[in-house]
Amino acid sequence: MSGRPSLGASRVQTWLAGAGNYLWSGWGSLASVFLFLAIWDVAAGQLGALILPTPLDALTTLVRLLQDGQAGPETLVTARRALAGFALSVGIGSLLGLAAGISTTASMMSRPIVTLLVGTPPIAWLVLALLWFGAGDGTPIFTVFIACFPIVFVGAMQGTRSLDGQLRELARMFGLPPLMQFTDIYLPHVVSYLFPAWISALGMSWKIVVMAELLSTEDGIGAALAVSRSHLDTAASMAWIVTLVGSLLAIEYLLLEPIKRQVESWREFASSND
Amino acid sequence: MLNRLNAASLWICPFRPFFLLTAAHAIIAISLWLAALGGILPMPELPGGPVVAHAHEMIFGFAMASVAGFLLTAVVEFTGCPPIGRPALQRLVALWLAGRLAWGLAGWFGIHPAAVLDLAFIALLIGHAAGPLWRAPQRRHLAFLHTLLALAACQAGFYLSLLRGTDAMAWLRIGSGLLMILIVVALSRISMRLVNDVLEAQGGIAAPYLARPPRRGLAIFAIAAHTAAEFLLPGSTATGWLALAAAAAAFNLLNDWHVGRALFQRWVFVPYLVYWAMALGYAILGAGLLSGHNWSNAGQHLLLVGALGLAIFIVMAVAGRMHSGWGLDPRRWVPAGALLIGGAATARSAASLPAGAEAYATLLEIAGGLWIAGWSLYLAWSWKALATPRPDSAKGCDEAAAAG
Repeated sequence: MSGRPSLGASRVQTWLAGAGNYLWSGWGSLASVFLFLAIWDVAAGQLGALILPTPLDALTTLVRLLQDGQAGPETLVTARRALAGFALSVGIGSLLGLAAGISTTASMMSRPIVTLLVGTPPIAWLVLALLWFGAGDGTPIFTVFIACFPIVFVGAMQGTRSLDGQLRELARMFGLPPLMQFTDIYLPHVVSYLFPAWISALGMSWKIVVMAELLSTEDGIGAALAVSRSHLDTAASMAWIVTLVGSLLAIEYLLLEPIKRQVESWREFASSND
Repeated sequence: MLNRLNAASLWICPFRPFFLLTAAHAIIAISLWLAALGGILPMPELPGGPVVAHAHEMIFGFAMASVAGFLLTAVVEFTGCPPIGRPALQRLVALWLAGRLAWGLAGWFGIHPAAVLDLAFIALLIGHAAGPLWRAPQRRHLAFLHTLLALAACQAGFYLSLLRGTDAMAWLRIGSGLLMILIVVALSRISMRLVNDVLEAQGGIAAPYLARPPRRGLAIFAIAAHTAAEFLLPGSTATGWLALAAAAAAFNLLNDWHVGRALFQRWVFVPYLVYWAMALGYAILGAGLLSGHNWSNAGQHLLLVGALGLAIFIVMAVAGRMHSGWGLDPRRWVPAGALLIGGAATARSAASLPAGAEAYATLLEIAGGLWIAGWSLYLAWSWKALATPRPDSAKGCDEAAAAG
């Protein structure tokens, strides 16, 4: 009678222990970050504050920017643009990639186009975007979209291409309903390819958006970087870079890495059962 | 008298005399230091000043005795070579004792006798440990030899700086860092065995414990980097960041230890606390340097009284019983002693932080009292295992008899 609740409780307990262990393993990364800060500190001591402020200066400036209420809104603007571009690339890239994967002809046709898209440097897209969209949200969002699109597209295409034909046959023989075929056979496999692609794209979007903002907009972290550069305020520049890298690290380690591990264990499980 | 001592079971394994001397030294040295601080005894007029003398005694007197006892026994277990003979052991003990005496009398005789005796002791110790460690298959335990050689160089540097009149404390800080590295190297080997024994006894439900080499490597690297920076760039913010790196790397080691309920078993929990003390000690050092406060004393005492004191206590409590054939001690003095030493570390560290500054003298007395009480417990309860014949009347350092 008490079997079910205790099973649920032990599952929660296992999950909590896993999450705790994962968070605690962050100490290792933190140790590396501190080692890096020490190297930065020594270099700053050699080069002088104008060229390279010390980590402590950069962090103090960052705290000041946060207290002034500057850092928060700028980060939100940047995040909005990055996520909008990312969402577009995930939506369109996944759909088109899945579609291209279904047909051999389509995937053969799309390959050179993808190579072309990957090969075009984001800065070139940025120039085109400036011409098409002018200064505003459109330019950074488009640049992020077009830079992330090929990554997601290729991931989705590979996911469909590598589907196991025997499994499909098996499903057909057992007369699995289409919905079950989709949720239990196709989806887990495709997602195990899609997720890593989405994760790389999200990291990419965060970097591209700042570059686009630096050259095209008047707000966001990129624009703030441009302003601090024009004032020769190296400490503020470093503070913005720390914000950027810090938020990227937080997204990477607190959101993406746990999901990636989950998906990877899924794939390992699937391949070990082949 | 000498013959009686010769015949005594004190000499059947190297840890026996050295563990006794470690505990006795812990009690005597801190009693004298408390008496000097309280004005009952005059401050020792020793080269480098009283604080340097106190730090040197605790690092190269107290800690070195336990290191000698541990290493000479561990080498036997790791490599399967026979333990060193009784005359060699007696020579080592005599050199260590003479070194303590010479250091205590350095105010009158100068530091040369102490330097010669202390260096001869550590050189002889290396001489006994180096061969077996080098010849062991795959040379898996060479890290002990490296640390020992570094400690010898540090001891030599300390005496040289005293002779030249430069900052001798800088060398003792290196010694402190080297001992932290030695803890990481030694505890990983001991804990693997202890923790897995506990897990096995509990039915092996949790994941088996493994001291993972990369984590250990990161901790050793971060501690070594901090130790080097403390020497080369004293008081700099870079040293502060490295201290924080060492703290984070020590916390990272605890990942291996989160093995479920077994953690709260004394043989697991006390070594676990060692790393907590180490991490917090380095965190205080780092925070002090980065915020422009001088918290060096608080941090160093958490490292040396907390991490080192607890590590020596638990290793001596385990090895002293296991290798004399008695098996692990289930009695309450073990957690009580660890609690007293942990309390001493907390009180001593707090005394040098702003929060405890007002009660400085009282906290120092409390810390000293707790320390002395903790080591007295050890001495009282371990005397039998260290100085009397084995229960199985065997010779040597085997633990097999206890397990059987």
